[in-house]
Amino acid sequence: MQISTNIWTWVAVILTFGIFSFLWKDNPFYKFCEHLFVGVSVGYTIALTWYNSVYPDLITPLFRQGQLLYIIPFALGLCYFCRFIPKVSWFIRIPMGFVLGWASGVAIPAYFQTNIIKQIQGTILTPSIFARWDVFLWALISFIGVICSVLYFFFSREHKGALKLASETGIVFLMIGFGASFGYTVMARMSLLIGRFQFLLRDWLGVIR
Amino acid sequence: MNLFEKLLKIDRKIIFIVMAVLVLFPLLKPLGLGVSSGPRAKAAFDAVDAIPPGKTLLISVDFDPASMPELYPMLVALMRHAFARNVKVLLCGLWITGAGLADKAITEIPPEYGKTYGEDVVYLGWKAGVDAVILGMGENIKNVFPVDYYGHPLDSLKMMQEVTRLKDIPFMVAISAGTPGFSDWLLYAQSRYGMRVGAGVTAVSAADAYPYLQSGQLTGLLAGMKGAAEYEVLLQRKNYSKAYMPAVAAMDSQSLAHIVIMVLVIIGNLAFFATRRKRR
Repeated sequence: MQISTNIWTWVAVILTFGIFSFLWKDNPFYKFCEHLFVGVSVGYTIALTWYNSVYPDLITPLFRQGQLLYIIPFALGLCYFCRFIPKVSWFIRIPMGFVLGWASGVAIPAYFQTNIIKQIQGTILTPSIFARWDVFLWALISFIGVICSVLYFFFSREHKGALKLASETGIVFLMIGFGASFGYTVMARMSLLIGRFQFLLRDWLGVIR
Repeated sequence: MNLFEKLLKIDRKIIFIVMAVLVLFPLLKPLGLGVSSGPRAKAAFDAVDAIPPGKTLLISVDFDPASMPELYPMLVALMRHAFARNVKVLLCGLWITGAGLADKAITEIPPEYGKTYGEDVVYLGWKAGVDAVILGMGENIKNVFPVDYYGHPLDSLKMMQEVTRLKDIPFMVAISAGTPGFSDWLLYAQSRYGMRVGAGVTAVSAADAYPYLQSGQLTGLLAGMKGAAEYEVLLQRKNYSKAYMPAVAAMDSQSLAHIVIMVLVIIGNLAFFATRRKRR
């Protein structure tokens, strides 16, 4: 056993116990840790945004190198702060419109290609899937799962007869999906707990490698 | 009050204590339950293994300290794999709060393999504007990152003479805890520049990643701490690393915790149905 002498490790340990104390019940120590976390995160984000983005990508080219074209993004950025002045708050619509227009133009074709075209291609049964029986089986299950799950969300006709059978099969697939997500969520939360315990045992107490 | 009614009214603090003991015990006394590697981790491993020595692996550090236990071991394992094969590593990030974690990895891992910053590894840092950053990197990395995280001009870094845009990089792994993350790399880097993308994700978002794996858009997937452990096992099997494997060490605790949760779910359901019948 080799207890850490690093002051920052001790700070982290105290804050870890502060957050864990919520498991017993809500308390001022927990609240302090929570607020400290929020404050530190925001401060860190502002500092890093300034030094990694605003300063090198806007301030330097505009004010140090005299590249006047950068006055456009500078002005658009300033328009965001008009939100705080009621008389000119409508100025914010200009950068918002610019961002929405640009982002939609860039994202929609890419999104369509990645999340619709490629996904449909991945679902369609092609001759190559017959090469191996297990590939064929999983492709068939995926195909049935997609069709039945989509049919569950088809609300233009009453769900009866074949449509009812398909939509109820869709529910089964959806439930399996939710179950898998829940299982993974449990695993994720346990991993975080284990990570904290590893920190306490290794970095603080020095009882494991 | 019968047994089932007592079980339904059990104090949650007792469950917390049982869970804490079962997680702590295997960390102190490993049970050696073992970890097997699955096809998804193997696909990511093979893709990194296929990068010719001297070429570059891009790793996007898209996570924050909150998901560090799951994702940091992946970052470390990927870097060790690359360095063991003399593959260069280029790091960047879409999460501002991940900047410090990439810096930590840059400080710890390259010296293990005698690798030099600027020649074998470069950390570009973080920039605002996810889509603009990826699209810009596709055209010219120096336009988006004129200087690296530490303020060195990219022109002054030897490694960056050979890596000017995404097309120069044969494979990348996006280690992501959510959005932005691997989905943005698929959206822009793959659909526009045809880049091969692998993903390391938190277990919570693993279910969202599977459709991209099935459609062939993702080359390999590391899901949660288990994914990291699988990768560590593959590294050790090929003698690429003999270092401590934090994810593998955590798997005994993970298995015990899962067993407890399964038992509790079963008991909870049994107790609920048993007492419901009585209530009726």
